[in-house]
Amino acid sequence: MSESPILSVEAVTAGYGRVTVLHEITLEAGRFGNVGLFGPNGHGKTTLLRTISGLVAPKRGRVVFDGKDITGLSARAIVATGLIHVPQGNKLFPDLTIGDCMGLGAYSPRARPHEAENREKVVKLFPKLAERWRQRVRTLSGGERQMVSIGTALMSHPRLLILDEPTLGLAPKIKDELCTAVMDISKGGVPLVVVEQDIEFLLELSRQLFLVDHGAVKTEIRPGESIEHSEIMAMYFGH
Amino acid sequence: MSMFSDIFFGGLFQGSLYAMMAVGLALVWTTIGVFNFSHGVFMMLGAYFAWQLVAFGLPVVIAFPLAVIVMAGAGWILQASVVRPLIGRPNIVLVVVITTLAAGSLMENGALTVWGPRSKQLPSLIEGNTTIAGVGVSLHQIAIIVITPLILAALWSFLNRTRLGLALRAVAQNEDASQLVGLNVTALYGLAFAIAASLAGLAGIFMGGYRFMNPSMGADPLLKALIVVVFGGISSISGPIFAAYLIGFFEAASNYYFGLYWTPALLFLVLIATLMVRPEGIFASRSRGLA
Repeated sequence: MSESPILSVEAVTAGYGRVTVLHEITLEAGRFGNVGLFGPNGHGKTTLLRTISGLVAPKRGRVVFDGKDITGLSARAIVATGLIHVPQGNKLFPDLTIGDCMGLGAYSPRARPHEAENREKVVKLFPKLAERWRQRVRTLSGGERQMVSIGTALMSHPRLLILDEPTLGLAPKIKDELCTAVMDISKGGVPLVVVEQDIEFLLELSRQLFLVDHGAVKTEIRPGESIEHSEIMAMYFGH
Repeated sequence: MSMFSDIFFGGLFQGSLYAMMAVGLALVWTTIGVFNFSHGVFMMLGAYFAWQLVAFGLPVVIAFPLAVIVMAGAGWILQASVVRPLIGRPNIVLVVVITTLAAGSLMENGALTVWGPRSKQLPSLIEGNTTIAGVGVSLHQIAIIVITPLILAALWSFLNRTRLGLALRAVAQNEDASQLVGLNVTALYGLAFAIAASLAGLAGIFMGGYRFMNPSMGADPLLKALIVVVFGGISSISGPIFAAYLIGFFEAASNYYFGLYWTPALLFLVLIATLMVRPEGIFASRSRGLA
């Protein structure tokens, strides 16, 4: 099971303007399947994902995706490698229809030839979207928007999918539906990097966990290292 | 009857010109979130380029489209030089007002140096006059009234029926999400400016065919386009189009009843009243986006 990592972040320092959020953060993902990131809010999880996907340029350090150095590449160039990031929240494109969003997902030349096949996958995964194909995103519920976000990312033909808190703020029933869908994506062969506050879901989904705290990895939990929910809670609150 | 058709044709004609100008302003605002204050100068440049090409001896059917294409390039260059370097600044709206004003002033004085202050005139699209419903109208004006909706419809279907248009609408709504699906945001910004500049250039060519041209001919149309865009709502392109025709008719009616001198004051009065009731514009939707 011990393969080479699909994604490695090497001593990355990044932030916004003069504010440094990530302090030489290092982690490797993909060696043991899906990766989960957790930790208190405001400690750099989202910034880490934004740095990986090229929305934030790192000040120092290296990001390597599948053997290719992608440090400092534009977000567009990174999308072209197949590393796809689903951002937090579901603001999306409020005045576009679901169908428009799926068309945008397949915008990059890499994804274009797979458009029909990926659309089929998305519709199978989220039948609700097919029913509302011509509806504007702003008229959808929070859960449906999250489905559009993930669906758009699947249209980009991902080789690695990064999800930033996919179940944030959702009602329990919709949340279960989304968790099942995310598991299905993983079973379909797309490796995942997931930031999530729901530890139960994270434990079910991933075998390798990182606790991100103060812009660095504080603890890494590898497969085989049994971990109790209470221990994670303790890490969260620092007791 | 003649009074009604006077107002009707005057309104349609003015509305067409305003719509061509305002759509470009709205396109740039919705995609990039800045106001281009050299938009009026683009109008003047389009007219002068066309004049120069005609003076070189090119026939109108080649000279006019060529001038419009040159304007697309000019729009791209302006965007790359005075807008793109500033993107990401917190006070970008204000800074771009100043940089585009400065660039506009440079281009205006450049035109003055190159072509001189003497008024010029372009050939009409179609020579001749006709009488419709008891009003004498030039064929040039009729051509503009017919061509403008066709061009606006073409722009609408480009934005709504093609993947590139879809990308432009997407950038208008969410820049981060656009980058994450692999859109080339800077190229799309350039494209928005290029389209806006060529539409302004075309408006200039239209205007140069029935009025004398001078290097500051774009100032008043820019002001009118700003009024149209604020009045119609800057969050879409269909809002300004409707507003352009509405204001065109209003102006024509006001010119008829109150005279030319009262019209600008009345126009602003209507604008202020509108903004007090609907600050987002009369046709505006809730967010920024092209539709």
